[in-house]
Amino acid sequence: MSSHSMKKYKIGGLAPLILVLSGLCLVPFFLRAYLVEVAMMYFIYIILAQSYRLIVTVHDWQLYHIVLYGVGAYTSGMLAKNLGVPVFVAIPLGGAMAGLVGMAITLPLLRTKGWGFYIATYGLAELIRLTWLKFRNPFGGSTGIIDIPWPPVIAGIDFSDRIPYYFFSLGVMLLVMLMLYRIEKSRIGDSFKAISMDPELAASTGINIPRHRLMACSIGGFFAGVAGGLLVHRLGAVDPKLFNITTTLYLLIWVVVGGTNTFWGPIIGVSVMHTLFELSRPLIEIRPMFFGLSMVLVLIFLPGGLEGLISKAITRLQKRDRVAPVET
Amino acid sequence: MSSQLLIQTIANAIAASGMLALIAVGLTLAFGVMQMANLAHGHFFMMGAYTVYALYALGGWPFWWAVAAAVAVGAVIGLIVERGIFRPLQGDVVSGFIATAGLMFVFEVLVGELWGWGLSRPIPSPYMRAVRFMGAAVAFQRVLVIPFAVVSIGGLMFFMRRFRLGRALRAVAQDPEAAALQGININRMTALAMAIAGAYAGLAGGLMSTIYAITPSLGGHIILPALIVVVVGGMGSIGGATLAAVIFGFVMTFVTTLVDGVTAVMVSVTVMAVVLAIRPQGLMGRVIA
Amino acid sequence: MLLEVKDITAHYFKVAAVRNISIGVNDGEIVTLIGSNGAGKTTTLRAISGLKHPSSGEIHFQGQRIDRLPPYKINALGIAMVPEGRRVFPQMTVLENLFMGAFLRMDKNAIQKDLEETVFRHFPRLKERTKQAAGTLSGGEQQMLAMGRALMSAPKLILLDEPSLGLSPIMCGQIAKIIRDIHAEGRTVILVEQNARLALVLAQQAYVIETGQIVLSGPADQLRENEEVKRAYLGG
Ligand SMILES: Nc1ncnc2c1ncn2[C@@H]1O[C@H](COP(=O)(O)OP(=O)(O)O)[C@@H](O)[C@H]1O
Ligand SMILES: [Mg+2]
Repeated sequence: MSSHSMKKYKIGGLAPLILVLSGLCLVPFFLRAYLVEVAMMYFIYIILAQSYRLIVTVHDWQLYHIVLYGVGAYTSGMLAKNLGVPVFVAIPLGGAMAGLVGMAITLPLLRTKGWGFYIATYGLAELIRLTWLKFRNPFGGSTGIIDIPWPPVIAGIDFSDRIPYYFFSLGVMLLVMLMLYRIEKSRIGDSFKAISMDPELAASTGINIPRHRLMACSIGGFFAGVAGGLLVHRLGAVDPKLFNITTTLYLLIWVVVGGTNTFWGPIIGVSVMHTLFELSRPLIEIRPMFFGLSMVLVLIFLPGGLEGLISKAITRLQKRDRVAPVET
Repeated sequence: MSSQLLIQTIANAIAASGMLALIAVGLTLAFGVMQMANLAHGHFFMMGAYTVYALYALGGWPFWWAVAAAVAVGAVIGLIVERGIFRPLQGDVVSGFIATAGLMFVFEVLVGELWGWGLSRPIPSPYMRAVRFMGAAVAFQRVLVIPFAVVSIGGLMFFMRRFRLGRALRAVAQDPEAAALQGININRMTALAMAIAGAYAGLAGGLMSTIYAITPSLGGHIILPALIVVVVGGMGSIGGATLAAVIFGFVMTFVTTLVDGVTAVMVSVTVMAVVLAIRPQGLMGRVIA
Repeated sequence: MLLEVKDITAHYFKVAAVRNISIGVNDGEIVTLIGSNGAGKTTTLRAISGLKHPSSGEIHFQGQRIDRLPPYKINALGIAMVPEGRRVFPQMTVLENLFMGAFLRMDKNAIQKDLEETVFRHFPRLKERTKQAAGTLSGGEQQMLAMGRALMSAPKLILLDEPSLGLSPIMCGQIAKIIRDIHAEGRTVILVEQNARLALVLAQQAYVIETGQIVLSGPADQLRENEEVKRAYLGG
């Protein structure tokens, strides 16, 4: 791509971004209360999907991301409720805990490969989830934990109110996205990409693959935990069912349907699929079939996901704009 | 534990081992031949159970006819998944794995819409008798799976060693390209592997349907133990899966009897993690360099 | 002509590995394809055996077009390949490996006859080890097994991809002698080698391939005298 078209692409990319952001800032003042709550879930899910993509780039399609989301939720909720830790401190601590747990699950099983790794780590994550289910004290068993503290009033703004919490979660999501974006563009991100393209080649150039897998799993886990913290202090309650395999399947659906090749894939995936999810509430019983089927069809017929489709369309448009180069 | 309870628990453990082995053997076979891990495999089991429910409990068919139908249903679903998903994905194993995750939803809704979402009505057992053994009574229906597991798995192992097609399956598992060069049609072998996998899961589901209260989410519950058995046995190893099925059949049954079901899964997962941390390739798996 | 490769090009992703390759093989010949590592020899053989479909060009075997057929159908027509790196089935016994070679044949007596009179005659070593797992054989024995397995399909044309690779000089000599014997039985052979000296002694016709293209071809004894071939492949 020439520097000229590069510039054009950037300007083209920035304008809609500003538009979307200002839209997001205005939206809560016009929407019904229920829809504002729904909007917050989009932010949480985008954090989840975006952090999962980081892990997918090193080929670890692990199935424990959602449990780390739960670790963040339980940790943050319990720190705030039982130890009186301020909510805004508890959320990052929950993230840190999730990152550590991610590391603890991954480390002993790093020598397993492919399916062995996915399944073994999923098993260990299930062990954590079943711990919440089994031990009523302190995890509350199948009913979980209730009466989790709301966020406090800071500088006259009550963050337990809907609209302030909306902006808080929007801010966290943007921050997380910025951080993940920076990671992707950093040297570590380059190594991740090298691994994703050709693990053997990457290893031969001196990239320590196990270390990078571990890094991806714990960084990704940290952000999943942050998402859990955001969730728990809005719901005010948490239970093990929120983090079972069904939620994992929806995470896979967002990421697969959106696409994992670029940063935008998971955002598109969550935006489209969660909207469909909300719209299909009347069909609640057969909804999972529709979603499962859509993932299967995307995998077979649209391997790059929706993001791949859109970027293909954009390149085609750009090609049409550009003057054909002179053949020599 | 009283001696009666001990004998009963041992009988239950053997039965659970047989059931797990029937499920895991097909899963590991399909994995060996295609390198595809089928997350919807537990749902094959569940559909086998519902076939017996529909035909025998609701439809009045003779029990054994219904079980035979469950085997056929399992095989056909296996073939459909191979044809509809694995083959179009052409060896893209990660996509195949995720696609089968999507299938879990599809099968579950299908069954839920057809036969209801909650617990199905218990299926009357065709054999009310109990086997008496050293003063303990063991329900005949519960141990019925044992001879079937022994014969089917023994038969499969014999088939894999002695028969032309069985050897071809092993060849494809060891080196698909070299197998193709010997004149083996790889697509037919993957179809065969998936049909066997489906049939065995369907058989297990059909036989166990009268013991478990069946729900559409049964597949989601059974898949974790089945996967544990397969990875601990060594992915692709039929002997390994059988051995691991016995280990976990006993672990799960004894812990369930002495403590509870949740703890049983927790203990199993821990055993798995310990085994894999020491032997990443599983008990009888080979190291893929 | 038994086999005719007409102007084939084959790609891996977007990169052409071989371009406009044409090769003719007459019945009963040994034809060799020599070239350095990465030149495209293996890709050419894979195209003939159906493992790699060419993006353009045609391949004809006994007058029938085969470049769109899957490998198992090509095997059924009488082409057997001994792949690079032997590729025996490591966890099957020697005997099971040999029977896999005869997968498509149904005549039990004929199979047994080929086993005793062809394979075990060429490779008496294998007869001593029928029950041993193939993965535990030495490199040379694995090469013998891979060749024996190919012979078990009673092929008209055998494709050999670097049979001497990684073998001791003594073992190389044995393999060379066996290739000659196989040829003497009236079978046609395409021999791919980096060891050009060996290949040019065995073959009647030779093709030199460089970066995916045929740069030189002709009778093997002429190529042996060619100055460029001498410099590039025969070490001066
Ligand atoms: N599976 C593959 N994927 C991508 N490139 C390949 C693959 N196999 C071979 N190539 C490339 O094709 C070219 C020819 O390779 P090959 O036919 O194996 O050569 P040779 O057998 O003469 O050593 C090389 O540049 C090689 O890097
Ligand atoms: Mg080669």
